[in-house]
Amino acid sequence: MAEHLHGFLRDLTDHGVGVSVPKKIHFLRAVELSDHDDLANLYWIGRISLTTSPREHEVFDPIFWRWFSTTPPALVAEPEPPAADDGPAAAPNAVRDTEDHPYAAADRGTGQAASPAVRLGRLTFRPTTAAEAQLIALLQRDLPAALPRVASRRRRPARRGDVLDLRRVVREAARTHGEVLSLRWRHRPSRPRRITLLIDVSGSMKQHSADLLRFGHAVLTSCARAEVFTFGTRLTHASAALRAADPDTAVRALSAVVLDADGGTRIGSALRDFLANRRFSTMARGALVIVFSDGLERGDCSTMTEAVRRLASLSHRLLWWSPLACDPTYRPVTRAMAAIADHLDALTGVCDLQTAHDQVASAFSLVRGPRIRRHHSGG
Amino acid sequence: MSRADRLALAGDLEREGYLADDGLLTAIHLARQLGLPLLLEGEPGVGKTDVAAVLARVLRREFIRLQCYEGLDASHALYEWDYPKQLLHLRLAEVEGRRTEGLFDDQFLLQRPLLRALRAEAGVVLLIDEIDRADSEFEAFLLEFLGDFQVTIPEVGTVRAVVPPVVILTSNRTRELHDALKRRCLYHWIPYPDAERERAIIRAKAPHLDERSAGRLIDAVNAVRDLAPVKRPGIAESIAWARGVQLLIHEGYDWFEAMRSSLGLLVKYEEDIVLVEAHREEVFAGS
Repeated sequence: MAEHLHGFLRDLTDHGVGVSVPKKIHFLRAVELSDHDDLANLYWIGRISLTTSPREHEVFDPIFWRWFSTTPPALVAEPEPPAADDGPAAAPNAVRDTEDHPYAAADRGTGQAASPAVRLGRLTFRPTTAAEAQLIALLQRDLPAALPRVASRRRRPARRGDVLDLRRVVREAARTHGEVLSLRWRHRPSRPRRITLLIDVSGSMKQHSADLLRFGHAVLTSCARAEVFTFGTRLTHASAALRAADPDTAVRALSAVVLDADGGTRIGSALRDFLANRRFSTMARGALVIVFSDGLERGDCSTMTEAVRRLASLSHRLLWWSPLACDPTYRPVTRAMAAIADHLDALTGVCDLQTAHDQVASAFSLVRGPRIRRHHSGG
Repeated sequence: MSRADRLALAGDLEREGYLADDGLLTAIHLARQLGLPLLLEGEPGVGKTDVAAVLARVLRREFIRLQCYEGLDASHALYEWDYPKQLLHLRLAEVEGRRTEGLFDDQFLLQRPLLRALRAEAGVVLLIDEIDRADSEFEAFLLEFLGDFQVTIPEVGTVRAVVPPVVILTSNRTRELHDALKRRCLYHWIPYPDAERERAIIRAKAPHLDERSAGRLIDAVNAVRDLAPVKRPGIAESIAWARGVQLLIHEGYDWFEAMRSSLGLLVKYEEDIVLVEAHREEVFAGS
């Protein structure tokens, strides 16, 4: 039995679950305390002591049943995390997360409803030029200072402040026999808000998405709290891949993750998936959100309008960067763009790193101060 | 854990009005046997917070709750010195011409939830609620506490738990927790209950609804969940709705009216209310 358990643990470790030694000790101690004849019980013990997320349950379950039974009994077959908006099945990056596992094959392509418009493609980019590398360095320098700021919740001692620092006051008074000679203060230092980018990598954006991904790389490597997502026909959480120190390495790492490049666009459903996942939508709450897309939504655009409205109300500012708007004669007249224009804090033309840097240098000023809406339109 | 243990625990929880499935029972049992903190995740409103309160009643232990928020720090979670009292003490000593000593005695120590949990002699059930709302500094601060049930206070030294507390952490997964924290905890995901269990829960929480009505109500809740609303109603919402309906019927409303008028207890977004109205037929099919 001991041999069997250790083999099971080794198998799990090989698949990235329950790797840490304390977890294994918890498991073995729990097994010692339990009945040996109760398989369902062993299943729960293993799952509770060895795994740390619903994603790991997906890896754990098949391995467990392979080692301990041929068919799972009905009473434990059901407890899959339902999680329409939270669990692993819905997490668009499940593909990346489970890529090393043999079970990943089953995952691939089940995340989104397939349609004729879905054409899976990989991102391919030419290497970054010297001029672009220079722009990236400029962006990394200028971005942190350009971000809107918010008062931190954690007070710090300061020369001036709004709250007495009683701890320091009393400590100093103790030295002078309880006489308070001077007051000490605490304040709330400001810190940059989170910045979240949603980058369209579909076919119609082909010329521009590479540059914006480099921009995303610059954001991730310079701002403390930043997230980048890509979308075409599906949503991908790209932050981890893009965070590599070198832009080309970052974009190459990303191409392993993004499987829907150069295909059709479903902006509405991608944004809706983003909002439906609570972990993701938290990344937009009170953040500076920038959507980079041409806004060419085919068919019914009500999903997109609704998603943009919710995104606008969640975020601190919602900026829409469109390569089409680089043309001075551009007006948002397509049905989708006309419908969402009122919800945006700004709609500006950005098509490459240079124009992105111009925005950071100048127009980011609009993200300061109170929010001004051109129109107020109800839901 | 033997079947008898499980049944006994299930019975105890049920008497307090909490219906747990096998996974949760095993998780609670292991947390107690191994003396490890238990991290519970799941959709909002599946009873993560409730289970801690109920467990405290079952174990006849004091229940201490620490609600997490961004910026929560040691002075709110662990301890704080009573500065005004210290200052008075200093002044008094000065007036009486005594030397000031013991400025960091127990009499000046304000115990916050974590310290109270460690010092309670009868043992407690400690709920650290919505840990995902706290920032990672606080998570790091918790590691010593969760690992050994002890904390180090600079002026006092290391405080160890008199009786190891039963610790339950909850998270809504709005962000990923650190591995270091997860490694110290047992982990359980609470799923939505199946219709059968949910009906039993409704029956326990709104006892004046008859069997058939409870069934219709659950059907309606499940129909709403299937409409893919902005926020899928959890069990907490179905319980609130059932209680609302129960009250309105008692006041003389008919079924359909009662369910419709109290719909705001089930769905909380304007979009969702519009959605439910549009699919009235399906949702209230049983009524």
